[in-house]
Amino acid sequence: MANAVLTGEAELASDERRAPWRVNRQLLVALGLLAPSLVFLALFTYWPVLQVLWQAAHNQVRAGSPQVFVGFDNFTGLFADSAFRKAFANNLIYAFGTVIPSLVLALGFAMALAKSNRVNSLFRALFFLPVLVPLVAAASIFLFIFLPNVGLLDYYLGKLALSGPNWLGDPDIALYAIMGLTIWKNAGYYMLFFLAGLQAVPADAYEAAILDGAGPWQRLRYVTLPYLKPTIGFVLVVGLINVVTQVDHVFVLTKGGPSDSTNLLLFYVYQQAVENYDHGRAAAGTLVMLALLFAITFSSLRTLERSFGEREA
Amino acid sequence: MTSTRRSILGAAALAAALAFSPAFAQAPTEIELFFPVPVDGQLARDMATMIKQFNETHPAIKATPVYTGSYDETLIKTRAAMKAGKPPAAAIMSANFLLDLKIEGEIQKLDDLIKTDGKSNDAFMGQFFPALYGNAVIDRSVYGVPFHNSTPILYINAEHFKEAGLDPENPPRTWDEFAAAAKKLTKREGDRVTRWGVAIPSQYDTGGWLLQALTYSNGGRWFNLDYAGEVYYDAPSTLGALTFWNDLVVKQKALQPGVQQGGAVTTAFLSGQASMMLNSTGSLTFVRNNAKFPFKVAFVPKNLQNQVPIGGASLVIPTGVDGERKRAAWTLINWMTSPEKSGWWSRATGYFAPNMRAYDLPDMRAFLEKNPDAKVAVDQLAYAKPWFATYKTVVVRKAIEDELQAVLSGKKQPKEALVAAQKTADEVMKPYVEQTALKLPTQ
Repeated sequence: MANAVLTGEAELASDERRAPWRVNRQLLVALGLLAPSLVFLALFTYWPVLQVLWQAAHNQVRAGSPQVFVGFDNFTGLFADSAFRKAFANNLIYAFGTVIPSLVLALGFAMALAKSNRVNSLFRALFFLPVLVPLVAAASIFLFIFLPNVGLLDYYLGKLALSGPNWLGDPDIALYAIMGLTIWKNAGYYMLFFLAGLQAVPADAYEAAILDGAGPWQRLRYVTLPYLKPTIGFVLVVGLINVVTQVDHVFVLTKGGPSDSTNLLLFYVYQQAVENYDHGRAAAGTLVMLALLFAITFSSLRTLERSFGEREA
Repeated sequence: MTSTRRSILGAAALAAALAFSPAFAQAPTEIELFFPVPVDGQLARDMATMIKQFNETHPAIKATPVYTGSYDETLIKTRAAMKAGKPPAAAIMSANFLLDLKIEGEIQKLDDLIKTDGKSNDAFMGQFFPALYGNAVIDRSVYGVPFHNSTPILYINAEHFKEAGLDPENPPRTWDEFAAAAKKLTKREGDRVTRWGVAIPSQYDTGGWLLQALTYSNGGRWFNLDYAGEVYYDAPSTLGALTFWNDLVVKQKALQPGVQQGGAVTTAFLSGQASMMLNSTGSLTFVRNNAKFPFKVAFVPKNLQNQVPIGGASLVIPTGVDGERKRAAWTLINWMTSPEKSGWWSRATGYFAPNMRAYDLPDMRAFLEKNPDAKVAVDQLAYAKPWFATYKTVVVRKAIEDELQAVLSGKKQPKEALVAAQKTADEVMKPYVEQTALKLPTQ
């Protein structure tokens, strides 16, 4: 799907280069066609973004007073807040610790289940199942799994005469418990992209590799992975965006605790807006997150386009 | 499918049109009530039943109950509705949010409404338990009407008590007895604990509440009841309370290290994995309906005195509600907090009824006769004091909860934790302090 969209855009771009005088008419048609969704985007995305920009430079000076312009005070306050720095650091660990394992797992699943047959379809469905469960519901299930002493995890550990740690109550472990849930939830989703990506690897490339005497690892390294490069890039973007935009499970499982050890950026922003009534700092935090998302998306999409270009060339 | 949906939409539109059409000039005043319920589907239905009854007996008013999730979510949704210029006519708010809401100018004084009814503020508040005044009356004005309330209480598993050679008829009264019982009730297989002597929730919100309870039991004050910019975190009474809690983990080894969630604590108690728990009286009905063993409740054990903070929620009228809607909201609020309704809701939830006269009604007497545990909760009210509320309550509370959690996880010692908590809390309250207590004549 991403493939079609991106090549489509590429064609459009080359058309424009060839006939500059047609741009205006094309632009009008394009705008007309885009208008319906543009209106909604403007109302529900761009306008709120502008409001956040405004809020980031304003704040209350005293309780109950109106918002006044404060320049960059919200940002200096944000970076001076140790809870923000903690949330930032947690988010980095969380990003590395969830995106990479789920990518590797997803690729593994996809390669194991690449051939279409009945057994594989069943397994694909099983691995995909967590994706269908809403994150809040999944978190509620994991609340039971992680329950100390009586939870599912401790129940089975108990059968092995082991006692599990306090999964969500130990500041050294809680973030990893939440990461486990995230990986469980996302690996199946990413598997879907890899399954699609693997269909695009030509069979004769493998045949040639086998004839050349390449072992399974060599085939993975020199045939499969190069073909999957655009898919990996795409999944990476999706994964990193998820890391920043999804905190439902933090909300349900730990509320950022114990002692802020599972606080992530978005949850921090929520706390500032809702618990601290500091809309200025919340807006500043949102902008920092937005900047991160832009950077991630932009750089990854560039890489993505480049890898498409490589294949076409 | 589509056609049914369309016809439903059509019917709804028609109904809306009828409701708003001038032909029905005598239409009842429409008000909405934002209400949270502690996680339980049944309570949301109970609330719907209650409001339906109200509408049947008050034809001039049409109240709509709007379920708004947890206490925090109700606060968010009320604020969002106010920002959009459509505040709900009334909302049930966590009792310790009232001070913040008042400071931010988001809720109304109810004094004029009380006056119109021909009552003084004192006479009006006089119908409720005195422990509830502090969280409802601010600067001598009434800002909220207590709706359902709770206190922390000790739950014990009577079977485990007998088995350990303890007397379930005499639950621990003092910290000494409490610690000894907890130690005795803990069971081990090698290094593995198979049963904890006691479980205490320490997640955000409840953790701070229970540490406040222990500090109160230790003679402490926790926060300045009269001034929103002061807390006593780094004080001997608080240090004693936190050290005692931590000792249950490290000395008696009768409490699981790390943070425990409220739900996990109730589950552990009900499944026999913990022999005692400190928890809200709000869990009482749930425990009564689900315990497969005889259980007892008792006052929170004391070191120096019996004293606990209240919890629960009050009815408020947001700023911007006026005229007919305000009067209708006031009618609803008074009806919901009347002795009959107060008692009915108390029996449905396990919260105690804030209206004292509810306990004089025959229904309530019969209920207490049958459930002596509910009586203990009411008796403890004589020793109850207001709930923690300051400028930016949640953040100031989180300051000590983060430190409590660090101590229970073995990351910090109680003293250094309290120093840090005090520093963070002072930092949060600084803007308020600077514009109040430290705003001095400049000449």
